Amino acid sequence: MKRIFVVFLLLVLGLAVYRAFHKAPFGQNRIGDVERPQSVSAFYLKHSPETLHTANSVTAIVVNFRGFDTLGEVTVLFLAATGLASILYRRKEEEEATEKAHLPGRIQLPSSTLVRTGAKILFPLILMLGIYVFVHGHLTPGGGFQGGSIIATGFLLMFITYKRFNVNHNVLIWLESLSGLAFVLTGIYGLISYGSFLQNTGWTGRLNDLISGGLIPLIYIFIGIKVGTELTNVLDTLLHTKPRRHE
Amino acid sequence: MELLLNILYYIGLFLILLGSIFLFLGALGIYRMPDLYNRLQAGTKASTLGAMSSILGVGLVHPQWFVKLFIIVLFIAFSNPLSSHALARASYRSGVKPFLKEDGEDAYAEEVEAEKARETEKSTL
Repeated sequence: MKRIFVVFLLLVLGLAVYRAFHKAPFGQNRIGDVERPQSVSAFYLKHSPETLHTANSVTAIVVNFRGFDTLGEVTVLFLAATGLASILYRRKEEEEATEKAHLPGRIQLPSSTLVRTGAKILFPLILMLGIYVFVHGHLTPGGGFQGGSIIATGFLLMFITYKRFNVNHNVLIWLESLSGLAFVLTGIYGLISYGSFLQNTGWTGRLNDLISGGLIPLIYIFIGIKVGTELTNVLDTLLHTKPRRHE
Repeated sequence: MELLLNILYYIGLFLILLGSIFLFLGALGIYRMPDLYNRLQAGTKASTLGAMSSILGVGLVHPQWFVKLFIIVLFIAFSNPLSSHALARASYRSGVKPFLKEDGEDAYAEEVEAEKARETEKSTL
């Protein structure tokens, strides 16, 4: 009975999906002629390689055409991290007070030698991959947000492998603030020299070069550092705040 | 040169086929095995071999990608056994009992008990 019901449900779902999508024009050109752009997408596709010399048009859209929006996104992330830290910080203080009173905590067994050695070898490789991803953000898929998240996973690996792995909070906070500030300053540079906020420079280099696209790689590196340090900060706050014990 | 590339191409196709068979067996193993540890080993062994050989196969079919794909293979060879080891160890220590026969013996239990006792002693000091 249950199986018949499941099959029936799957059939109904399949029918719904089919009805919803069978008229959708998959695989057709809905952007129009890229050379004579009529739509916004065609405009982006035409201008990101031609005038900005950015191979990855998604990056050109995120950092240049809609750079202001990205600044807002980074701010959202910053607010989330700050909110989390401010909620959890008080609990951390309470926890430290109970630890000072020598109350027995939860026993945490250490990770095995295999895991510790492996994490030690993998950690720099993960950091390198993250940095590669955000430095090549204007050439290959990926960019600041993705690279930053990869860096944070590297730190997460170290946090869960080593009980006593600590990152310096002040360094994290300084890096985060400075890269955020640098993003805004690049915007103001555009405002002063070219007349609008986050305006790209006139010099954009050659298509497919590592140093090309004007300010785009620079901004993406700032975003990468900011996201990486921010997420590491969040992980650090979350992992090192133990849940409140119920007496 | 042409002949060599052709041979490599067919070896690559064969490796991709072999890899997909292993991946399928791995999926079947995860579905059919009785407990966590058996599933873990089915999944890991099959997916390590399956993913490695299909990636190598793609590298042989497209020789210009070979170096990058070989790095990915090395990464899988390094990280996949490690992660499954960590998962199995953590789940044993958090109390998942392995599937045993009637007269089966759990040889790992004693060591874990001893280590737990040592840690408890250390934390109470």
